[in-house]
Amino acid sequence: MTAGTVIIGMGNPLLSDDGVGIAVAHAVAERLQRTMKLTVTELHTGGIRLMEAMAGFKRAVVVDAMLSGAAPGTLLQFDPADFVTTKNTFSSHDTDFATAYDLGRMAGVSLPEQVSFWGIEAREFDLFGEQFTDEVAAAVPGAVDRIIAQLVAWEGEA
Amino acid sequence: MTTRITIDPITRLEGHGRIDIFLNDQGGVENTCFQIPELRGFEQFCVGRMAEEMPVITNRICGVCPEAHHIAATKALDAVFGAEPTPVAKKLREILYMAFFVTDHTTHFYALGGPDFIIGPDAPPSERNILGVARKVGLEVAGEVIACRKRNHEIITFLGGKSIHPVAGVPGGWSRPITAVERDQIQDTARKNIEFARFSLGLFEKIVLKNPLYLEMVTSDTYLHRTYSMGTVDTDNRTNFYDGMIRVVDPDGTEFVKYHPSEYREHIAERVEPWSYLKFPYLKKVGWQGLTDGIDSGVYTATPLSRLNVSEGMATPLANAEYQRMYETFGCKRITTARYEPIHHRLATHWARLIELLYASERMLELALEPDITSPETRTIPDPSCFTGVGIGSVEAPRGTLTHHYETDARGVLTRVNMIVGTTNNYAPISMSIKRAAEKLITSNAPEETILNRIEMAFRLYDPCLSCATHFLPGKMPLTVSFRDSGGGLLRELRRKG
Repeated sequence: MTAGTVIIGMGNPLLSDDGVGIAVAHAVAERLQRTMKLTVTELHTGGIRLMEAMAGFKRAVVVDAMLSGAAPGTLLQFDPADFVTTKNTFSSHDTDFATAYDLGRMAGVSLPEQVSFWGIEAREFDLFGEQFTDEVAAAVPGAVDRIIAQLVAWEGEA
Repeated sequence: MTTRITIDPITRLEGHGRIDIFLNDQGGVENTCFQIPELRGFEQFCVGRMAEEMPVITNRICGVCPEAHHIAATKALDAVFGAEPTPVAKKLREILYMAFFVTDHTTHFYALGGPDFIIGPDAPPSERNILGVARKVGLEVAGEVIACRKRNHEIITFLGGKSIHPVAGVPGGWSRPITAVERDQIQDTARKNIEFARFSLGLFEKIVLKNPLYLEMVTSDTYLHRTYSMGTVDTDNRTNFYDGMIRVVDPDGTEFVKYHPSEYREHIAERVEPWSYLKFPYLKKVGWQGLTDGIDSGVYTATPLSRLNVSEGMATPLANAEYQRMYETFGCKRITTARYEPIHHRLATHWARLIELLYASERMLELALEPDITSPETRTIPDPSCFTGVGIGSVEAPRGTLTHHYETDARGVLTRVNMIVGTTNNYAPISMSIKRAAEKLITSNAPEETILNRIEMAFRLYDPCLSCATHFLPGKMPLTVSFRDSGGGLLRELRRKG
């Protein structure tokens, strides 16, 4: 049995734009604190950890920095079906998310019925710092709005 | 005139590494070069902060072993503040650390190292993963791996005060004692860990040791390097992950040096090569002779295998029996009543890792059975008159000896930060193993996938964490191997999609 929604912010909050997923996850939860019960989780690495972070929840939203070559600040949404990888959803110490998800199923882990991935294109990701670059900082409010819209739509379906 | 081969980057590994393999005119491998993009500004990020922030800052350098950084940083702070932790504080730190070792070594064996043996080194990558392992040895193993991670993560979470990034380490101790109920949970977890570790060693025996082909692969000279070995030992010269002296033995197994971690600068120097921004640590008193092994080369290894090489047996009974079995399988002679000649066959690192898994499980139980483990005396409050302003903290991280070194001003504000992380120790041996693998492959007509995977196997046995080594970040990339001539011209390119 699964219940509730988890929002997982991925990345390293000490590495400039890499922390944008975590910031967005917290911002979404803060805006929704009076209207929706959300669990927020911060994760550095993906793979099996990411699968485990979703275990037991009915729905999961994952927000991560990405390096796709798009303009910094670009926001993309992926469904698990067409999802390959964003910056941190793969763990080189175990496996990619898709394999971890299959492993969880194989092991009988209760995994969400709905999973949505969001990637925000990063610009600076190899410099220690707690500030986002301008383009990425400017993308945060829009990302928060769109993720909230999705969560509200999901609630409507329930 | 040399030819250059580039492998860019390595799948199933942290970070975006690019390998260049330089060929000489005869077509032999001249040298290998392993490049990793660097994260910048870590020291500058830390300098100016209060030293006590370090256990929670450094545990975010990398998501793979936050526990190792947390404990090393906390130990460095003990020294900065001159506060000797209470006995129970040391035990609680070590319990958390054993739980972490169990999850880390388990995951490496089943997801990374094991597939090459259990599925086979030449199987397609789509099968050579943890799912393939479960299909081959039984689906229940998937559940066992997940259950092992879960029960140990629960211990780490309540002991560490937070999931994933522990916060409980403070100078002079640990923030919280444990209850009798928590103690019982730790004991129960440790017992299950012991069973699981024995099961894993049994699997290794059944699938690897009883298969002549794989046994030959493990004992062949493909990944053999006769380097010095390093590891942390307790007062009886037996492996300890949490605390002790650093022991180094030479390639024949004679003790070269034993020193306190705070003396590392007297023993370890770092070589800078123009073609890489990773520094190569080496034994200062032996000297740098390049990427070569032997008693005259200061190259050393800090891995599960090297830790066993320096140890007078394991400190726990079941792990010790397995330790003896491994050295006897390799035909090593006893040097002392408890220790054997070192094993230099690098693929045996996978076996050593499983022996360490068993040791960590047994050690966890030993600690949880200590009568004072629920004592509330978890902290020595630092006395301002004991403040030193300098702290060097060291632990054995799963990937090698981890050292944190902090210096502060009189107010405890950081003025200098240095770290030698587990993987960095092994930078030279990793490069040597790549070179050896390349030498074997360069003249063969092996299929592309075989070349790619055999070179990856050279890396994988070290489980390098490039995230730490360069303060770099993960990301899955396709693997490309490029063969280039000295002018950079592309001769041949092998590519695996991510």
